[in-house]
Amino acid sequence: MRRPLAKMPPFIRANDITLVFKSKNRDPVTALNNLSFEIERGEFVSIVGPSGCGKSTFLNMLLGLVRPDSGHMQMNGTPIKGPGQERAMVFQEFGLLPWRTVTANVELGLELKGVAAAQRTQRAMELIKLVGLNGFERHYPHELSGGMKQRVGLARALATEPEVLLMDEPFAALDAQTRDLMQAELLQIWERTKKTVLFVTHSIEEAAYLSDRVIVMTARPGRTKQIIDINLPRPRDYEMRLTPEFNEIKSRIWEVLKEELIPGSRR
Amino acid sequence: MKLKTFCTEHESFILGTGFIVILLALWESVPLWYTLPKGMALFFTTPSKVAAAFQQLLINGEIEKHFYVSAIAFLAGLGLSIVVGLPLGLLMGRSQTLEALLDPYVTSFNASPRIVWLPLMILWFGIGIWSKIVIVFAGAVFPLLINTYAGVKNVNRVLVNVVRSFGANEWQLMKVVVLPNSLPYIIAGLRLAIGRAILGVVVGEFFGSSQGLGYMIASAATNYKVDVVFVGVAIFMALSVILTLAVKQLESRLASWRPETAKTF
Ligand SMILES: Nc1ncnc2c1ncn2[C@@H]1O[C@H](COP(=O)(O)OP(=O)(O)OP(=O)(O)O)[C@@H](O)[C@H]1O
Ligand SMILES: [Mg+2]
Repeated sequence: MRRPLAKMPPFIRANDITLVFKSKNRDPVTALNNLSFEIERGEFVSIVGPSGCGKSTFLNMLLGLVRPDSGHMQMNGTPIKGPGQERAMVFQEFGLLPWRTVTANVELGLELKGVAAAQRTQRAMELIKLVGLNGFERHYPHELSGGMKQRVGLARALATEPEVLLMDEPFAALDAQTRDLMQAELLQIWERTKKTVLFVTHSIEEAAYLSDRVIVMTARPGRTKQIIDINLPRPRDYEMRLTPEFNEIKSRIWEVLKEELIPGSRR
Repeated sequence: MKLKTFCTEHESFILGTGFIVILLALWESVPLWYTLPKGMALFFTTPSKVAAAFQQLLINGEIEKHFYVSAIAFLAGLGLSIVVGLPLGLLMGRSQTLEALLDPYVTSFNASPRIVWLPLMILWFGIGIWSKIVIVFAGAVFPLLINTYAGVKNVNRVLVNVVRSFGANEWQLMKVVVLPNSLPYIIAGLRLAIGRAILGVVVGEFFGSSQGLGYMIASAATNYKVDVVFVGVAIFMALSVILTLAVKQLESRLASWRPETAKTF
């Protein structure tokens, strides 16, 4: 997955991103401070970091919903200036429209793009099948379990065929077993579709299991603290999590992250 | 056994109508066990007399004539308030400029009783249909506008971000999230607006009309025709119930996706 030629620009590049939240009657909050990193096409990269360090804010920036105060974000050599169909997000709390059926939720992006009804329904059906929700096409979100809702969120993000999938703690609301299942399915889908994935999580295990690289962020204001390569063979399976190599990587991530979590231990 | 299940299924209906029937029977029987003093008997009537008066007014076409006039003022005023209040509420909720521009007027008009405008309306528009339409409109537009506005303001931010992330423009945002998300508020506003519109019709016809159900009630009262007054009152009550049920029907149709409330003990 590494760049073949040193001259080629990285697929996604964040350079010196700074963002300060200013609100009335309140001290300004520096959410991100000189955050920089690069991501290659097809990579699976996880971001871990203490709560409130600006991970969600950063994903929203890449999505084009939040503008940085300074710094540059590029994708494919062009600056990111707003939402675009080459990027899609899977939201933490699912973000499904409760008045729409599963199919209509999956169709959302296509509908907003102006794709004809017949075409988008067909595409939605393919994706519903891909995420294993056949038989629930006409159900409403409140009739689904958490895991099923997040499958809808994933299908919706994939429907517009983005090149990059941004995922903000997508499995945080799921129980442990469903989470394991969803992780395995995400890996399968990723290997099949060759998307670039940027995955925010609080679980070191999850980050290590899924990723090619793990970016550890500092406490707020967020910066890249360290990037850890996960050189475990793929395809990965559940058994791999029981190997000493896997545990060694987990403890390496933990060692780096720990310094940011315990107050006063930094620097 | 069958009767028992029938009774449990229709419990609220049986209780409701049963109670009304009992009340009506009691009322009807008042003259049998109590002799009203002469002065009061003039203002007293019984359900059977009201029913007779109703039949009479139905046969001679009075009801139809008055009903028609009131219905036009009601429908035109309410329709106008929907056409104006709904879009304005949506726009006010989304645009800060419009909000700052209109909010003082909306607040002050809504806080003051609309009836104070009636004499002016009669001067401007005469005692015909128009002064009533304006009064109905003035009563109904604010609850609709304010509720729609509140709904828009309470829109789920996450859902807005979801839709925006797909590159939606402001118009699509309105159609796909803001409007459906505000629907419960709008329906509540509509229910209030209907009440206000009926009030507008009645008050308008009490004071500024020579036709309509409100006028029928007012003129019957001045002539001590108590049974006719009751006919008018009963018609308004029935209409209010029907309209409330219609809104409920509309609501359950629009919100068919909503989870059924589970039966609890
Ligand atoms: N709209 C906003 N206005 C003001 N401050 C904000 C806003 N959104 C986020 N913040 C602040 O910015 C910081 C980063 O928030 P963000 O949601 O990106 O954190 P996070 O890393 O995703 O945290 P978590 O892991 O708990 O989800 C927080 O301190 C938060 O208080
Ligand atoms: Mg977050």
